[in-house]
Amino acid sequence: MKVPMSWLREYVRVGASAEEIADLLSVATAEVNGIERRGPSDTALFRVGVVLTADKHPNADRLQLCTVDVGEKQPAQIVCGAWNFGAGATVAVALPGATLPNGITLERRELRGQMSEGMILAEDEVGLGTDHEGIMVLADGTKPGTPLTEVLPLVEEILDVEPTGNRPDLFSVYGIAREVAAIFDGELVPLSEAKPPQAAEEQLDIRIDDFEGCPRYVGRLFRDVTIAPSPLWLQARLRDAGMRAISNVVDVTNYVMLAVGNPLHAFDYDTLEGGRIVVRRAKKKEQLRTLDGAMRELQPSDLVIADAKRSIALAAIMGGEETEVSERTTNVLLEAANFEPIGILRSSERLALRTEGSNRWEKGVDPYLAGPASTLATQLLVQLTGARWTGAADVHGDLPARRTIRLRPERTNEVLGLDVPAERQGAILARFGFDADGDGFRVPTWRARDVTREIDLVEEVARFELSEIPFTLPEKDVSFGSLTREQKLRRVVEDALVGCGYSEAYTPSFPVTADTVALRQAIVPSLIEAARLNASVDNSGIALFEVARVYLAEERRHVAGVVQGGIADARWAVDQIYAALKLEPSYAQATEPYLHPGKAARTAEGWVGELHPNELEGTWGAFELDLDALTASAPEALRAVDVSPFPEVRQDLAFVVDDEVPAAALAEAIVEAGGPEVRDVAVFDEYRGEQIGAGKRSVAFRVAFGSHERTLTDEDAAAIRSRIVAVLHDRYGAELRA
Amino acid sequence: MDTQALQQDALDAIASATVLADLDEARVKYLGRKSELKLALREVRDRETGMALNAAREAIESAVAARQAELERAELDAKLSSERVDVTLPAELLGDVHPRPRGHLHPTTLIRRDVEDAFIGLGYEIRDDREVETLEYNFDKLAFPEWHPARSPRDTYFLDANRVLRTETSASQIHAMEERKPPIYMVSIGRVYRRDAITPTRFPIFHQFEGLAVDRHITMADLKGTLLHVMRALFGEERRVRFRTHYFPFTEPSMEPDVSCGVCGGEGCATCKWSGWIEIGGSGMVDPQVLANVGLDPDEWSGFAFGLGLERAAQLRYDIPIIRPFWENDLRFLRQF
Ligand SMILES: [Zn+2]
Repeated sequence: MKVPMSWLREYVRVGASAEEIADLLSVATAEVNGIERRGPSDTALFRVGVVLTADKHPNADRLQLCTVDVGEKQPAQIVCGAWNFGAGATVAVALPGATLPNGITLERRELRGQMSEGMILAEDEVGLGTDHEGIMVLADGTKPGTPLTEVLPLVEEILDVEPTGNRPDLFSVYGIAREVAAIFDGELVPLSEAKPPQAAEEQLDIRIDDFEGCPRYVGRLFRDVTIAPSPLWLQARLRDAGMRAISNVVDVTNYVMLAVGNPLHAFDYDTLEGGRIVVRRAKKKEQLRTLDGAMRELQPSDLVIADAKRSIALAAIMGGEETEVSERTTNVLLEAANFEPIGILRSSERLALRTEGSNRWEKGVDPYLAGPASTLATQLLVQLTGARWTGAADVHGDLPARRTIRLRPERTNEVLGLDVPAERQGAILARFGFDADGDGFRVPTWRARDVTREIDLVEEVARFELSEIPFTLPEKDVSFGSLTREQKLRRVVEDALVGCGYSEAYTPSFPVTADTVALRQAIVPSLIEAARLNASVDNSGIALFEVARVYLAEERRHVAGVVQGGIADARWAVDQIYAALKLEPSYAQATEPYLHPGKAARTAEGWVGELHPNELEGTWGAFELDLDALTASAPEALRAVDVSPFPEVRQDLAFVVDDEVPAAALAEAIVEAGGPEVRDVAVFDEYRGEQIGAGKRSVAFRVAFGSHERTLTDEDAAAIRSRIVAVLHDRYGAELRA
Repeated sequence: MDTQALQQDALDAIASATVLADLDEARVKYLGRKSELKLALREVRDRETGMALNAAREAIESAVAARQAELERAELDAKLSSERVDVTLPAELLGDVHPRPRGHLHPTTLIRRDVEDAFIGLGYEIRDDREVETLEYNFDKLAFPEWHPARSPRDTYFLDANRVLRTETSASQIHAMEERKPPIYMVSIGRVYRRDAITPTRFPIFHQFEGLAVDRHITMADLKGTLLHVMRALFGEERRVRFRTHYFPFTEPSMEPDVSCGVCGGEGCATCKWSGWIEIGGSGMVDPQVLANVGLDPDEWSGFAFGLGLERAAQLRYDIPIIRPFWENDLRFLRQF
């Protein structure tokens, strides 16, 4: 909501500056995003001038040479390119030294051999409009030399206020003024109730068929309307508030909406069939061309304004093209109604059609506002269009009564943590329009939607006292915080991977640019994308990991990685993850969708291997593990085992086996056959060659034997070793190499 | 010519091709220049026949393309399988394990850990709840009014009529209060989702941390003090915090906390848009309706809640003006942390 300060000050008398108002509004009412300033920064050299002479420039056919009384002893000679004025015209003048809003500073200078001392202004040159057809001709009767700011809205400060959705009352200048008056204890100027004289008593045919959708409809008829551009002051206000000026009648409806918050609509009365207004739900298959030119298919849930034959407006959202006010309009029916918000919201959502009006209606507008809104509009229409006001109707059902809400002042203090005396609470609430009523307060009509409970009254006090509330910490009886096991182990895994040289990535849970949400079931594909990006910018040593949720039958946390290098690099990282969690991985040959079919392994918790060459150019390793499964299997407690005082015996054993026999199976058999004295088994070499034969390989193990009771002898070791050799031979046909 | 029968024959032949050469033979037979189909297409006179023949041609072409991709992948995989290694070998026997300098945690994680530590210090538990939420938990129990824009598919990702990607971590409040009776002091951290155009400062996914304290006699002053403590833990002891009134469905009164700008110290600069303050999230007193929704008596229990963005906090702490690098994962960015 853009709020021009001059407009605001019309409604509230307060000494505070725009900055002070912005600061306190931000804290107590709604955020002020900024203050925009329009117009020249220094207005001293902008004056009202009266043209004394205006003749063709002696050396230029398209220029006028004027002398202008600007209140100085000598008139100023000014060369001007416009011809829409002559001697005697009252004009706006900028004198040499003045800086225009576009940053240009005027100087005395010669134009085609004639000195020009200043500029006669067009509206676009001072930011008052876009018209550059001619200069601004002002109303006669102003003394030459009068500061221009006294007759034109030359400068403006505009607050950019962002009200929250629960405060429809703040989508108007008057609503903001009400808050400013309350916060600064300033005087709020009541909206004028003065109605211009009604010229006739024409009957208006207005009927509401659906009081739920439309609790109130105020209609006003105006005859002999002259459609014309609005005066500059009104155009400037509309533009400053972010709307376009169109013509006087439409501008008045927009002006009143911005002023008091009640959107209005104007119909060309002569286009209404039977001169009738009916508020009803749309009929099945009913169509309406709205004034943006689109043909709208209506549904029975849409509220429409109709005449005797057809719908003529999408209620609260947009008028219809056929009944729109045009240059030819002479009779206007003004609508100041009230509409129920949720239905409007649904229609506007379905039709993907939002307007300044629907944006207010969908939040809920005070039904009592239609009165003052129609009064203000009537004043302006009569004043600006020369119209006669000839008819009025106010059709309504039961309007909601003001509710009284009980407030316990001690409750306020309990919520705030600040002692605000009951009288002060009452005074604050009174300023915001809540009248004391027994042990409660009566809610003003414009707050009826968002203040319905005691806590809502508490908030009114709280927002006024917000800066006074101290900073404390809860007094707690319980006080023990700790990461859960899963959270601790997540950190362990993250740190292990960082130690392996992996950097952490965050990738989207689904392709965010797609139309539909396809939640991912694995992280690796996103990491492949991230790796591809890194490769494309020539980053080296790419190693990325991520811990995130995947979305299977249930959500699971996974940890995944992609690394430049190959299966060995990925396996190393997976080994470190298991080691960090005090787990022993067991790998098995596998096929996995993203992996090279010959270089893929599964563990109980996931997979690791080399990326399939179709996935990413180059040689890459990748892994993806179920972190929840990993942390669930990690041991809860560790028990230390004494280091044996007796030295271990180490032996290297190499076996020739068929290629298909996995090294891990052999290692397992060694432990099993060797018995408890086998302390450690590690593969340290794999060899293929002619001496060994096709389809076979040699796998070499370093085996450590030891005992907690004694030092093992060579004979002990030889016995264990022969058990191992026998079992490996029986089970896998393995031959011990000499 | 029986177009349907021809198409079926072609599809059968394509499906039964087990090597690329067979597939190519089928392609020539059914789609080649002298194929029955192509000849018929040349002779076609009426629109209807033409459409039928073209439909058959398209079906056969796409079947060939699909089968070709399958066979190529199968041939590639057969070749790759001959490179098979024994994956049960130790890593260093599978290939070179390249030594790498230490990696880097993502800035979002660095902030997450600081948030966790700050709240553990205050005696809070840390939660990590589901991201796919029901309307009941994401909106209804949090007292979102019917008109609230977040309920619209324009703002929120709906998975079906009843499930959404959570729009804030606030659903954790309900889970925490339903799981046990107060006192509750918890912080929930995780991903949240909002349908937003991707811009330099917005991404449809971000991380929030959501705090909740429910106990007897919790006050707004306690909320202010707690957030001041956390802001200082995240951004430094010299920071100040101010509060502005705001609106959230699940808190009343509601406030937005601002932290004093770290770039200018509160004097005003471009980072803080000359206000000296930086918006950092939302907060408020738990709405009595929310307490009632989980069966707590609002006259007996009170609480506060707040939600802030991890990326936003990381942006402020590390002076990262835009969001894009948080999701792009360029190592030139990540290696700075
Ligand atoms: Zn700053």
